[in-house]
Amino acid sequence: MKPFDIVIVGGGGAGLYAAMEAMKTNPSLNIAVLSKVYPNRSHTSAAQGGANAALANKAKDDTVEMHIFDTIKGSDYLADQDAVDVLCSEAPKIIRELDNIGTPWSRMPDNTIAQRPFGGAGRPRCCYCADKTGHTILQTLYEQCLKKGVIFFNEYFALSLSVKGSRSRGLIAMNMKSGKIEAFPARTVILATGGYAKMYWNRSSNAAGNTGDGQAIAYRAGIPMKDMEFVQFHPTGLRKSGLLVTEGARGEGGYLINKDGERFMARYAKEKMELGPRDLVSRSLETEILEGRGFDSPAGKYLHLDLTHLGADLIKSRLPQIREMSMQFEGVDPIEEPIPVRPTAHYSMGGVDTDNFTRTVMDGVYAAGECGCVSVHGANRLGGNSLLDILVFGRIAGHTAAQEAGKFEPGNISEGELTAQYDDIRSFMHSSGHYERYGELREELGQTLGTNVGIFREASLLKKGIQDIAELKERFKKVRVFDTSDVFNTNLMQVLELRNMLDLAETVAAGAYAREESRGSHTRTDFPVRDDAKWHKHTLATQVNGKLALSEKSVTMGRYELQERTY
Amino acid sequence: MTVPTDQHKELKKDVTFRIFRFNPQVDSKPYFDDYTIPVERGITVLRSLNYIKEHIDASISFRAFCQAGICGSCGMRINGLSQLACTTQVWDVLVKSKEPGVIKVEPLRNLPLIKDLIVDMDPLVGKMKHYSNWIESTMPESSMGKKEFLVSEEEFLRYDKATDCILCASCVSECSILRANKEYVSPAVLLKSYRMNADSRDALHEQRLAELVKDHGVWDCTHCYRCQETCVKSIPIMDAIHGIREDAIENRGMKDTSGSKHAEAFMTDIAKKGKLVEATLPIRTNGVIWTLQNLVPMAAKMIMKRRTPPPPPLVKSAKGIKTFREMFKEMTEHVKQDHKSHKK
Ligand SMILES: Cc1cc2nc3c(=O)[nH]c(=O)nc-3n(C[C@H](O)[C@H](O)[C@H](O)COP(=O)(O)OP(=O)(O)OC[C@H]3O[C@@H](n4cnc5c(N)ncnc54)[C@H](O)[C@@H]3O)c2cc1C
Ligand code: SF4
Ligand code: SF4
Ligand code: FES
Repeated sequence: MKPFDIVIVGGGGAGLYAAMEAMKTNPSLNIAVLSKVYPNRSHTSAAQGGANAALANKAKDDTVEMHIFDTIKGSDYLADQDAVDVLCSEAPKIIRELDNIGTPWSRMPDNTIAQRPFGGAGRPRCCYCADKTGHTILQTLYEQCLKKGVIFFNEYFALSLSVKGSRSRGLIAMNMKSGKIEAFPARTVILATGGYAKMYWNRSSNAAGNTGDGQAIAYRAGIPMKDMEFVQFHPTGLRKSGLLVTEGARGEGGYLINKDGERFMARYAKEKMELGPRDLVSRSLETEILEGRGFDSPAGKYLHLDLTHLGADLIKSRLPQIREMSMQFEGVDPIEEPIPVRPTAHYSMGGVDTDNFTRTVMDGVYAAGECGCVSVHGANRLGGNSLLDILVFGRIAGHTAAQEAGKFEPGNISEGELTAQYDDIRSFMHSSGHYERYGELREELGQTLGTNVGIFREASLLKKGIQDIAELKERFKKVRVFDTSDVFNTNLMQVLELRNMLDLAETVAAGAYAREESRGSHTRTDFPVRDDAKWHKHTLATQVNGKLALSEKSVTMGRYELQERTY
Repeated sequence: MTVPTDQHKELKKDVTFRIFRFNPQVDSKPYFDDYTIPVERGITVLRSLNYIKEHIDASISFRAFCQAGICGSCGMRINGLSQLACTTQVWDVLVKSKEPGVIKVEPLRNLPLIKDLIVDMDPLVGKMKHYSNWIESTMPESSMGKKEFLVSEEEFLRYDKATDCILCASCVSECSILRANKEYVSPAVLLKSYRMNADSRDALHEQRLAELVKDHGVWDCTHCYRCQETCVKSIPIMDAIHGIREDAIENRGMKDTSGSKHAEAFMTDIAKKGKLVEATLPIRTNGVIWTLQNLVPMAAKMIMKRRTPPPPPLVKSAKGIKTFREMFKEMTEHVKQDHKSHKK
């Protein structure tokens, strides 16, 4: 295959923006986008709320500076302030550019882009398209890429970087339709594979494929991961699937009830009750469950989100989506019965360590979107800042790679390297010594993470989690791929995703064990306060000789001094 | 306020999933496999398939991603109807099973089969490209990012619903024309084309319309309403199709040659009644024999499956009927001439 100037792994918001921008920067470049699902299926489509930008369409006194401060404070001061500067000052431009290429934003009465309030923001600056913002942004970007003639390799599963010394020669991927392992020699590779929160499995709001593939590929190539222990939980996921019931349900007056029939939030936030901040409400639900006041079911313990007292009219007119979801995914009509819920893993703040230009430590390898960690979210990301992150840094990645591609030679990926991968994969299909079921391992991984590396963390729990993960990794060596066919082997794909989750789970647990403080989404019951003297720094996890090694990186400060984070 | 602890009674039923199987590497033709599992209330078809894949037969192949009805991956035919597996409750479809306790699961139609429940989406993407399903901005690239377009709420509402489409291809699978003609534009692509054409920021309107009125385009639609009835997002696809047709008559009526057969049928209705009588259109555009072969069996099947039969002939008062009438004379002339030149 002719070498590519840029190979982009991932067709979500980050990957597609990168492709569009790279084509714009230098139309003569040979650019490919690889995606394991059709780009329009990427998880970016799940984002309902919107994307933040200080357009000042709604609040005339909103400024980029205020957006910067909200983001830094929200991050519990772990974000790099120069990166946040870039994020927030590029925001208005990105949102306008999206408008210019056809994104159907909802509109204000004066025909400008509509904005609404969102958690943790001092002004209403979240730009939206009804409740399908991510979906429409993703559609628009995909359409524009089709228009520009971007070459797509859809349903290709990226396996690894081909590395020689400290350089990447390109990418190795499996064509799902044929089962063939193919080489993509490339001058530059942009990893934009989304988040890793699906490792919590049934306790995650994420798509089945948010398994951190890009991070795992980088990690195995020796590129450091940053701040992996920071995983955001959302208080109300559906019991069976982990899917989100949005804040709207509580906003309209829904009650959270335990098995004794109590509105338990009175114990944790007397004033705000159900409307306390996301992390506090998540911790409260978790406490109720831990202390035995949850309901029991085969799908695990849960609590009730009760809307029945709101009446059929209000539920039908104001919360139709939530009603539909409850009926579709739980078989429960909230007009008649309470919705079974529990906290769910939602977003991964950590990811591939990059600089503000999305460069990783490896020449010619970049990472952007939820896959990368610049870092703009620090210990906790604000709602509406993640779509913004993928757009702004996706764009920067495309631009940078297009400018720097000329600096790097694409290497030669040998036939032997491909055969080795093929044999490696095929070994999972051998009957002798391979008997473990991936479904079980995956389920157990989610359970141990949820219990031991979940909302409340503590040394003994984390130790147990680390041990469990190590055991699961051992058992994974004996995992069996039962489907031996080449064509569209989803069984194989899921096993490979599990391998990625296991590798990354180790970094999440190890980071959480090391970080002896509580900051943002990371709550240690044995170290309940933020410890700036010891822990105001990023965690790096690197694979050295097949083993995980932790190190640190300082946080870039700027105009804002450390302060206590209170709301 | 009291809530009994056992509010969620976890009743279970044994359900047999009769799954379409085909692996091109080993099978010369498709067959069905039966899997029986206990299913409690609240479980979706997708979760059942996942269960079967994890616990009974790992080789069953299907697509799924978001599991939340938003990514469009899991379109398949469940008890004969194209829908999303992840938003379909097992107990709900069980009621509609022909054979008690058995749910039949098959791949979408009208797209090439790859394996088991997986079909090839590339033809659909190809059509999106062919009909320029994107905005070609009226703003030069160099000025982008500096200023917003001003777009009225009224305009936004015109295409708001159309942007709900998640490209699940359920409508494609049910389209009666596609079954006969794989090159037909497809309902989802008509919907997207309409959405682009309705956008004031777009500069491709004319060009896109010119493509839409050609063979395999908007005039081939039989108005059978299957797509709209099927749409998993309840999008009024027919409004989009009407929209494009009205647009075509208004903007290109006199120039068209290729769509003339259809235009003729369209105009007869207008001339006679001053209204569109949709139900009669397929017969005249495609011929009586075609209609009998393709639509009547389908209608019969629909009634057998106790699905809502197609709505009564839509008698919609045509917008701008005066202009139509004025144009009508001119167009009849045009159509006649067109026929003559074809005969030559
Ligand atoms: C339910 C929910 C609601 C949310 N709401 C909001 C919100 O309101 N506002 C906000 O700002 N953020 C929100 N977020 C977060 C935000 O949606 C995501 O962080 C963001 O969309 C991630 O985009 P991405 O481009 O990085 O990755 P994704 O959109 O996840 O795309 C990843 C891409 O990588 C590809 N890929 C992955 N692995 C491989 C592989 N091995 N080989 C080939 N390709 C691969 C996939 O096919 C996909 O195309 C929400 C998240 C969830 C789960
Ligand atoms: S109405 Fe037209 S597009 Fe829709 S299913 Fe029928 S023929 Fe196909
Ligand atoms: S129009 Fe409806 S059924 Fe057709 S692809 Fe779009 S969402 Fe699916
Ligand atoms: S899995 Fe995404 S729509 Fe069903």
